[in-house]
Amino acid sequence: MQKGPPKFRTSLRSRGYPCRFAEHDSPVHRMGAGWKLLFGVFLSALAAGGRTPLMQAILVMGTLAYYLSARLTLRDLWCDVRLFAFQAAMVIPLYCMLDGVEKGLWPGVRISTQIVLFYLPGAVFLRTTRTSEAMAALRRIVPYRLSFLVFVSVRFVPLFFRELEEIVALQRLRGARLSPREQMNPRNWPDLFNCVVLPLMVRAFRTADEVSRSAEARAFGLHRERTYLDVAAMGRADGEEAVSEVEGRDGAYPVKALTD
Amino acid sequence: MHDRVLEIERFDFTYHGAAAPVLEGISCAVRRGEFVCLTGDSGCGKSTLLLAVMGLLRGGRRQGAIRVAPAEDEAAPSAGILFQVPDSQILCSTVAEEVAFGPENLCVAPDEIAIRVREGLRAVGLEGEEARSVERFSAGQKQRLALASVLSMRPGLILLDEPTSQLDAAGKNELVAIFALLKARGHTIVMAEHDPRPFTALIDRYLRLEGGRLVRDDATPPDQVRYRPKAFLLPYSATLYGTRPVLDVQGLDVAYPETGRVLKRATLRVCRGERVHLFGQNGAGKSSFLRCLAGLLPADSGRVWVAGTEKPGPGTLRGRLGFLMQNPARQLFAETVREEVAFSLERLSYPAEEIDRIVDETLSFCGIAHLAERAPLTLSFGEQHRVALATVVAPRPVLLLLDEPFAGLDFPQRLSLLAILGRMPIRYGTTVLIASHDELPDRRWADRSLHLQEGGIAERAA
Repeated sequence: MQKGPPKFRTSLRSRGYPCRFAEHDSPVHRMGAGWKLLFGVFLSALAAGGRTPLMQAILVMGTLAYYLSARLTLRDLWCDVRLFAFQAAMVIPLYCMLDGVEKGLWPGVRISTQIVLFYLPGAVFLRTTRTSEAMAALRRIVPYRLSFLVFVSVRFVPLFFRELEEIVALQRLRGARLSPREQMNPRNWPDLFNCVVLPLMVRAFRTADEVSRSAEARAFGLHRERTYLDVAAMGRADGEEAVSEVEGRDGAYPVKALTD
Repeated sequence: MHDRVLEIERFDFTYHGAAAPVLEGISCAVRRGEFVCLTGDSGCGKSTLLLAVMGLLRGGRRQGAIRVAPAEDEAAPSAGILFQVPDSQILCSTVAEEVAFGPENLCVAPDEIAIRVREGLRAVGLEGEEARSVERFSAGQKQRLALASVLSMRPGLILLDEPTSQLDAAGKNELVAIFALLKARGHTIVMAEHDPRPFTALIDRYLRLEGGRLVRDDATPPDQVRYRPKAFLLPYSATLYGTRPVLDVQGLDVAYPETGRVLKRATLRVCRGERVHLFGQNGAGKSSFLRCLAGLLPADSGRVWVAGTEKPGPGTLRGRLGFLMQNPARQLFAETVREEVAFSLERLSYPAEEIDRIVDETLSFCGIAHLAERAPLTLSFGEQHRVALATVVAPRPVLLLLDEPFAGLDFPQRLSLLAILGRMPIRYGTTVLIASHDELPDRRWADRSLHLQEGGIAERAA
C-alpha cells in the first residue's frame, strides 16, 4: 500500500470543466458584459499580433493579472488551459523536428503561447459572466434567439468534453485503438472516426434535440421579444423588510410581493 | 371543459417513417386537481403522449384531438413539462436564471419574474440558492430545480415524464414530498412512470398503456411483476470457482477539489464468480470507484489489482474487463448488431470462424439473436441497452462492472437484465459487480451486498 502524501496531480484533478461560471464576486464580475467582451477582444487581438518575446512576456503578465483579478485560482487556470498543454506538447516538438531545435523552438513556443493568450480572455468572460448578462449584452447586437443559441452552445461544450472522455475510455476497453501511440498509425484512424466521432455526433444531435424541446416547452421563441430577470429586484426581494406576505394568485403558495 | 383540464379524443400518432402507430385510439380526460399516473412498460407510448399534450411532437401523422384548458393567468402556458433527464433541460448557468427562463419567454414583467423565481424555488425547497451555479447540484437538486422552472410559469397542467428515474431513494423521497404539497395546493398533475410505487398515496387514477393503446383507467395500482427465482441463480461457491481473488482493492483514496475525499481507504476483495451489488446514494463515489477499478481514474493512493494486473488501465485490460456505464447506448456505432458485437473480438484478433460462433452465442445469451441484422442506432432504448451488454459480454471478461445499469429500464427489463447477469458466473466464470443507487429488483441475486458510504465500503446485512 502506498504511504505518504497524495501525489501532486491530486490538486489538479477536477470534476469541474473549463470555463465554468464562478459565482463569487470580483472586480471583473462587476464589469459590464459588454466591457468585458470589448476588453477580451482587445487582449485577444494583442495576443494574435504579439510576436516578440518582450511583447509576449508583457501579454502573459497582463492576461494573468486579468485572470487572477477575477479571483480565479491557479487550479482554475490549469482546468482552463490543460487541453492547450497537450497541443503545446505536440506543436513545439513538431516545429523542432521541422526546423531543428535552434530555429524551431521559439516559433513553437510563440505559437502555443499565442493560442493560449488568445483564448484566455474568453475563458475569463465565461467564468465571470452570467448567461443572462451575456445574453443581455449580445442582444444589443443580434436577435435574442441567436444570442441564446451562442450561450447554450457554449454551456454544452464542456459536457461534450466529458462525453468524449467517457466514450474514448469505453471504446478502449472494448479494444478500439485509440491511445495516442496507436493513433500515430494512420491505419487506426478509422477507429477514431467509427468509435468516437460517430457516437459523439449521435449524442450531440440527441442533446440538441432535448435542449430545443426543453426550451420550446418553456415558451422560448413564442414572442418576438422577451423580458429579463431583474437581478436587482431579486436582491431587494432577499431582504425580508422589503417584502410583504400576500397570498399567491391561485392560492398555490404564499408569495412575497415587492413593496418597493 | 370547465372541470376538465385535459381531454383526449381518439388520438393516434405515427412517427415519421414508422410502419405502426405509437399511439392508437387514446381517449381520456383529466379533471382539475387530479393526480393521474400514466403507466406501462418502456416503449408503450407514455412519453409520446405527454409530448403530444405539450404540442412538442414534430412531424409524423396524427389523428384525433387533444384539448388542454387554458391556464387562469393569461400569460401562463396551459401545460408545463418536467423531463426525465435534468442535465439536458437545464439551460442556464445559475439557479435564478434557470427558473426565470420560462417567465422571461412569456414576457412577464421583470419584478414579477423575481417573485415567481422565489415562489418556484420555495415550492421545491431551494430557497436562498438563487445565485448558485447549477453545476454544483446533485441529480435530485437538479430535478427539483427543473420542477421549479416549470412552476414559475404557473401552468394549468403539470406533466412529469419519469421524474425520478435518475434519483436515489433520498432524491425520490424529496420529490414525492414536493408532489404531495403541489397536489394539496390544487395542482393538476399527469405523471408518466413505469414504477409508480413511491407515489401510490398521491395517485387518484391510473391510466395503463400497452402497445400504444389505453387498456385501463381506474384507481387500482398496477400489479407488480413477480420475480421468479431461476435454478441458475446458485449461490457463490468457493468449491465451484476457487478462492482466487479477481479484484483486490486496498486503501483506495480519491479526492476532488470541489467535493473533498469521495473514497477514503476503500478496501474490497472479490473472488472469481461472485455476484456483488455495490449500493450507494447519488454522489457517494460509486462511479469514481468503478473508474479506478477500470484504470480510467488514477487513485490518489491505494492499490488495485484486477485479474492479476496491478494498476490496471484501459489498454491493459482489453477483453478481460467489461465496463457498462450509464446510458450504454452511446458506445454503439456499427451498421448491424452483429458487427457491433464482433468489434471487440476482431480487435482481440480472434479467428474469423471463432468470431462468428461467439457472436451467435452471445446474441442468443443476451436474448437479441433476432436483432442481429438490425442497425443498433434504430433500436429502442431497452434493445440498445441489451446490445451494449452483448458487446462487453462477447470477449468473456473476467470481471464485469456495471454502473447504474437499470437506469431507464422498466421492471421486466430490469429483471431480464438481472437474469442474464445471474447466468454469467456459471456460464463464463465472470465476476459481476453492479453499482447502483437503487435496490436490485431482487436482492437475492447478489452473493454479497455492499454499501459505499462516507468513502468506505461495508458489507450490508442480508
